[in-house]
Amino acid sequence: MRSRRLIPVAALAVAAITLAGCGLGSSDDTSSDSKPTVDANTKVTGEVSLQTWALKPKFTSYVEGVVKAFEAKYPGTKVTWLDQPGDGYDKKVLSQASAGQLPDVVNLPPDFALPLAKQNLLLDVAAADPKLSEEYVEGGIQAYQYQGQNGTFGYPWYLNTDIDYWNSAKFTAVGLDAKNPPKTFDELLAAAKVMHDKSGGKEYLMSRLPGIGDFTNAGVKVLSDDGKTFTFNTPEAVALLEKYRAAYQAGYLPRDILTQEYLGNSKLFTQGKVAWTTGGGNAIQDFQKDNPSLKGKVVASPALDTPPLYVQGLSVSAKTKNQAAAIALARFVTNAENQAAFAKIVNIFPSTKASGGDPYFSKSDGTPESDAKVLAFASLAKAKSLQPAVISGATNDFINQQISLAIAGKVTSKAALDAAVAKANQLLTQ
Amino acid sequence: MRKGVRYQRWFTPWVLVIPALAWLLVFNLWPSVNTVILSFTNARPIGGGSFVGLKNFETLLHDEQLRYALLNSVIYMVVCLPFLTIFPLLLAVLVEKKLPGITFFRTAFYTPVVASAVVVALIWQWILDDRGLVNGLAEKLGVISGPLPFLSDQWLLLLSAISLTIWKGLGYYMIIYLAALGNVGRELHEAAAVDGASPLRRFIHVTIPGVRGTMVLISILISVSALRVFSELFILSGGKGGPGGRDNSVVMLIQQYSQGFEGNLGYASALSIVLFFVTVVPMLVLARLNRKAADA
Repeated sequence: MRSRRLIPVAALAVAAITLAGCGLGSSDDTSSDSKPTVDANTKVTGEVSLQTWALKPKFTSYVEGVVKAFEAKYPGTKVTWLDQPGDGYDKKVLSQASAGQLPDVVNLPPDFALPLAKQNLLLDVAAADPKLSEEYVEGGIQAYQYQGQNGTFGYPWYLNTDIDYWNSAKFTAVGLDAKNPPKTFDELLAAAKVMHDKSGGKEYLMSRLPGIGDFTNAGVKVLSDDGKTFTFNTPEAVALLEKYRAAYQAGYLPRDILTQEYLGNSKLFTQGKVAWTTGGGNAIQDFQKDNPSLKGKVVASPALDTPPLYVQGLSVSAKTKNQAAAIALARFVTNAENQAAFAKIVNIFPSTKASGGDPYFSKSDGTPESDAKVLAFASLAKAKSLQPAVISGATNDFINQQISLAIAGKVTSKAALDAAVAKANQLLTQ
Repeated sequence: MRKGVRYQRWFTPWVLVIPALAWLLVFNLWPSVNTVILSFTNARPIGGGSFVGLKNFETLLHDEQLRYALLNSVIYMVVCLPFLTIFPLLLAVLVEKKLPGITFFRTAFYTPVVASAVVVALIWQWILDDRGLVNGLAEKLGVISGPLPFLSDQWLLLLSAISLTIWKGLGYYMIIYLAALGNVGRELHEAAAVDGASPLRRFIHVTIPGVRGTMVLISILISVSALRVFSELFILSGGKGGPGGRDNSVVMLIQQYSQGFEGNLGYASALSIVLFFVTVVPMLVLARLNRKAADA
């Protein structure tokens, strides 16, 4: 009787395991779908889709203008523009990719494009477009080239970087000069101490934990050359964590940074609770819009050490049925003229070499907003991608958790970094 | 004619059952079976994966994050269970009385239930922040010299989340008890009163046995929701699971592992299976205790 009852259970288990074995594709698929079958001279015609990320309704007329211009330049083409909301964009792209319904041209930052490139879902645009490296800045192109993947998996669209913003009123109150702000991390720590001590522990300068970008800036090699192992558990990284830990224990950083999201930094700055944050070239406008009492009090300066480089790009689906039109559209949307026009209405920076000489980006009209924009644009020249694209969300979470533990004094800095590297390697090889 | 009727009798139930059966298979049974299948693989959101046997379960055994998550879930359940089983009953007994203005109190106690968990947790985040209402007031009154780390200390954060759950759950379970109290015969109370039983004795010997079935049901509901807690801990910890992720719940871990392009669906599925068994155990224990008490 008992064995009879077990039969359906066993059958179900066998079926489940059998299905598990045969129902899933192998992750080692090495087919070369990413190589284009057309070149730049192929006639462009037919239908093609373009997916952007949260550009409606603010930039509807701009995108529609670009689409119309493309259709006029290539008679016989028809562009279907899809715009996805900002929240959950990664999930949307993920579901499109899993269903094999990725739009022909899709806006993907480099870290979104990497897993798709690994699965041969994106086209190597450099193979179809030999002029790519001539027309776009090197950092933008490199962002779409990954260790272990042969090709360039997106046209750089627009760039951004971070500069530093300081609250001059808080600086003055404790006898610091916001016009001569800290230029190195050690100077930042020293200023944080002054702000804490002179305000009786009421005011804070710093409000963020270190991340992978800070390790890179401290000269730590985050990833091995072959991109297969993480290596950031070095004495330099330990020393950096120790500095943060000492500052935290001394009360120079708010306690809740252990649980705050990264953006807590700029939120607290906007709320007037801390005196320093980092942000893009247009962040000053947001600070003042969200908190008008900050008007006239925000001073910008170049980022400490190497500024981070943030890249957005347009990738072409490897499964597109109209490669010629898709490549042409991605190139058209990201060309110097269209990027410069876009950058002038959205306060980002173009990734084409030809846009570099545009005085709009390089000359200030004297307002703090314009000064910040010019400062950010100048910073782009030495900006670098500080975080490897192979760091996934789960890996980043775990690293941040270990950093929190070290800063809070729950584990030693070395133990936290060792644990973070071990877990990151495990997640990398899964 | 008779043959036709018999023929209809044979397939008519099936026609009626098929939509519900299809729904059950596709949306209830298949996801569960699929979770079991995925737990034996290293599946990713894109590109599939391959069969890895028991590797995910072996990894689970050494996962420190899971140990903390399970500990948090058990603490959550152990603290919430007595509070949310007993206090709503006392509250229900209080507001059951027909007094002028009692509707106001019933509504007031129920208000937190109506509010969204996310909104409530955000409000509590503002209240418990280092510069929030509680710390601000306590500092002004001179009770504390520096802010208490409600949201940045591993145990205080857990305690804050538990308090939030209890605060939000009181009204909900109170309503269930109110319905149950309506079924406790008034004559029993009257008879006990005639026999000289004090209100406390009447509560212990009449009210509690009268709502025992409801208490078991509520205990099961509390256990299950405490073990599956997500929004309170997620929002109070800013989505980070507290310092070092030590305030994660199992559901938060599942969410963390499964999200993003590189999400590890296989491991997240293995975690889901662990959560399933962890949830089933207290349900079975409580149901068994109830059966024993009923037999006694």
